[in-house]
Amino acid sequence: MTNLLSYTHFPVYSIMVLFLGAFLVVIAGKSKALRHIFAICAVTASLACLIALIKPVMIDGEVIAYWMGAREPAGGYAIGIALEVDALSLFFGLLIATAVFVSCCYSITYMRFDENVSQYYTLFLMLSGGVIGLVLSGDLFNMFIMVEILTFAAVALTAFRNKAHGALEAAFKYLVVGCIGSTCILAGTIMLYAQARTLNFAQLSAFIPGNFNTSTIIAFALLYIGFSTKAFIVPFHPLAADAHGAAPASISVLISGVLTKSGIYGIIRLTYFLFQSMALGKMQFLLVFIGSVSMFVCVTMALAQHDFKRLLAFHSISQIGYVLTACGLCTALGISAGLYHAMNHTLFKGLLFLAAGAVLQQTGTTDLNKLGGLSKRMPHTTVLFLIGAFSISGIPPFNGFASKWMVYQATYQKAVESGNIGFLFATIIALITSVLTLASFVKVSQSVFFGQLPEEYKDVKEVPFGMRFAMGIFAVLCIVTGLFRELVTHYLTEPAARAVFDVGKYINSMLGDGYASAVMGANAPVRTEVVFDMAGTWQPIHWLLLLCILLLAITLVALLGRYDTVSENKAALAEGKFDIFFGGEESVPSQVGGGDLFWGFKHNWRHYFSFMHDLHSGIVNDYALWAIVALALAMLYMLIVL
Amino acid sequence: MAIVYSSLVYLGYILIFPGFLFCFVAGMLITGIDRKIVAKMQKRVGPPILQPMYDFFKLMGKETIIPAAANKTVFLAAPIVGLAAMVVIQLFIPVISTPILYGTADLIVILYLLLIPALAEIYGGSASGSPYAGVGLSREMVTIIACELPLVLIFLSVAKTVGNAMGTGLCFSLSDIAAYQAANGSLMLKASMIPAAIAMLLVIPGETGNHPFDAAEAETEICEGMLAEYSGAPLGIYKLTHAIKTFTLTALFVALFLGGIGTGIVLLDALIEFAICVVLTIIFISLVHAVTARLKIEQLFKYYWTAVSAIALISLVLAWFGM
Repeated sequence: MTNLLSYTHFPVYSIMVLFLGAFLVVIAGKSKALRHIFAICAVTASLACLIALIKPVMIDGEVIAYWMGAREPAGGYAIGIALEVDALSLFFGLLIATAVFVSCCYSITYMRFDENVSQYYTLFLMLSGGVIGLVLSGDLFNMFIMVEILTFAAVALTAFRNKAHGALEAAFKYLVVGCIGSTCILAGTIMLYAQARTLNFAQLSAFIPGNFNTSTIIAFALLYIGFSTKAFIVPFHPLAADAHGAAPASISVLISGVLTKSGIYGIIRLTYFLFQSMALGKMQFLLVFIGSVSMFVCVTMALAQHDFKRLLAFHSISQIGYVLTACGLCTALGISAGLYHAMNHTLFKGLLFLAAGAVLQQTGTTDLNKLGGLSKRMPHTTVLFLIGAFSISGIPPFNGFASKWMVYQATYQKAVESGNIGFLFATIIALITSVLTLASFVKVSQSVFFGQLPEEYKDVKEVPFGMRFAMGIFAVLCIVTGLFRELVTHYLTEPAARAVFDVGKYINSMLGDGYASAVMGANAPVRTEVVFDMAGTWQPIHWLLLLCILLLAITLVALLGRYDTVSENKAALAEGKFDIFFGGEESVPSQVGGGDLFWGFKHNWRHYFSFMHDLHSGIVNDYALWAIVALALAMLYMLIVL
Repeated sequence: MAIVYSSLVYLGYILIFPGFLFCFVAGMLITGIDRKIVAKMQKRVGPPILQPMYDFFKLMGKETIIPAAANKTVFLAAPIVGLAAMVVIQLFIPVISTPILYGTADLIVILYLLLIPALAEIYGGSASGSPYAGVGLSREMVTIIACELPLVLIFLSVAKTVGNAMGTGLCFSLSDIAAYQAANGSLMLKASMIPAAIAMLLVIPGETGNHPFDAAEAETEICEGMLAEYSGAPLGIYKLTHAIKTFTLTALFVALFLGGIGTGIVLLDALIEFAICVVLTIIFISLVHAVTARLKIEQLFKYYWTAVSAIALISLVLAWFGM
């Protein structure tokens, strides 16, 4: 412990550097260069610390238990502040640190026209530190503190461009419902503390499963709702749309890639570790149900949007629905699929939000009805956007396909094994949601990047290199994680899935060997051997090879044939040879608004859409009411079930 | 030496059989037969059966005009990607019950690969900047959504039925489905699978965009939609992709539901498969084409999500209860 460079200290370093960076940015004051250096150094150091932990935690399977100030438990009670890093924590930590790093790179050029940028970086780093602190934390009260830090930083950042339309309103909504969530977490924490007289995760995990009573169950419901608000799953999805619509793109990346992950992490920790309730079919049903509803409701809500960023926000929650559904299955394949999708979600969603930010910066709008034809003006952004769009729609061989494929396998396998027809619906909804996602991104491509270029955007330029570079990192990661599925599952998701099924080890690493069996007696969690057999195999490399050969062959054929074009000479241009065909009529812009592209679909669903339209009133009182109702229902459900 | 030989064999699979050349000939012939039969049904003389081939070669030699408003790269790359994906699907579909290239092809992968040619056409049309293409791609996307639900239900019920019999509970592997049928006779003979087979036959014309489900192309209305700006070789490649798609979908039907009837000799099987595909095309594409008028896009969507999905759902429910 004395060696400060030992890897056991790395978790706390990765949190510390971010908070330290936050204060250094303030000290740097007006110096732009110094500010950027501090910010970049902080996020890089944090990411490096976590990457260095891959070897001991992911590969060797160690669980790092770290007591702040070396205050180890005394008298059977864990009093000190603890950090505990198992493979699950590290997995989420890595995702978050990566997203934070890329977002920080992007911010440098993206925020260059804004005022008060030093406050921006301070809040940015506070938010990042809060989330990493949350996933690495080993006790419930510290988790609550981190939740508060990140919620308030996120609220402030949502309203950062407070002169923009709707920014303050969005921040206010987020503040109200976010506070309800935080209060739920605090109340749940207090109730558990009153029962168990400890806040340490490991000790709670040993105590609670044998002591289910009304108090602990209500605490469970409170914590569950608290983390749901952080993950924005149904019924908290409208907040995400408002927040994403108003926040700067670099912050949208954090809200969708980082904040929602912290909520999902909280729910997994809560259900699999603290309460160890996932073996119950009814609890699985709850998560799968909420996950499927989130998936479907949010994808249809996205189809009805005509604002680029709001559309992405709804898709973000829809994809979180996949994660929750898969994690709710309580099978090794399910958890593995869910975590894989969580990772991919961070990557492709980050990429898409950054592309939306690039469009917003160059054109000043994200309204799908006004944009169009930008692919000729912003070719690199278009390609990067398409990579993100194909990934989220699950087109092989991008990463979204690899993880969604696992989600389908996992849900269907669960349906067959448990004989429960409910899981079958989850599979069908997941498959349909996927094609609706595709439709939605076709709409965005058509109405932002392709189609006709409106007159006012004739002089739009490509974004600066810094922003393209940040998007490029995400794009490369999207392709790499899609192609090397086996590496990802072997080094990242499978260790994390094993950790989820090894609660005993989590408890014992913190409190000494044999603690779990001493306290819990016969109920001590037994390490279940995790088997990752799948019903089929997905080998992207084969397919890619095949596709390459085919492309080569066909290109050859095409070159031998006349796949060439007559150069656009002036005379031909003048006589209208290269104009769009209008049957001799005068050329007119398309009368179909970009936001309303799929009327054939919407027409059949008009009752559903008008119902949804009325439901999402946009009034914060309603959303607060939803939160309260959801809390009441969750309490009722859990009291009946547990 | 062995490597050279095996890569030559591999290349032969991709380029000749069951890859590019085989798809090309089969697809073109099926389209030609379809056109001839429709003409006969409408008391016209009709084109010669080889007409699609003549059209293709003629188009390959024509000038390719790229509209000034188009994104050139996407406009030209889209047809090639679509064709490549179409041929890749064919490589993974067993010829009746003999998988040729890989034993691991997976139904969900096929489901997604089927999207790519349509998607390529959508992006190509989108990149052309034509408003006709805008309308066309909107309809094409709705058609895809419409066909997706019945296809999902059909695939899940096949996976469940074969999985039940194999004791694994579910089976998405096409080669296992083929092996099961080779051992136990066609799935078509199982009462619980008949609705799924019927639903699949009803999905085929929608997937290929044939009359009456051709709202996305609708020459008389929106000038072929996404293809409005295409000419020359790219247009030829699109026509080829369409032709292969008809063959691929009927071949997929054969692999899924008629797997047990093969002889085990691959080339003979390929001929039998082709013959069945022609029959299916005549009954379920040409006949329907000749006697119906085009549906509006919202009618098309409603038809697939209600009638066809309900038929497919019957199979899934029966399969679920082990029948």
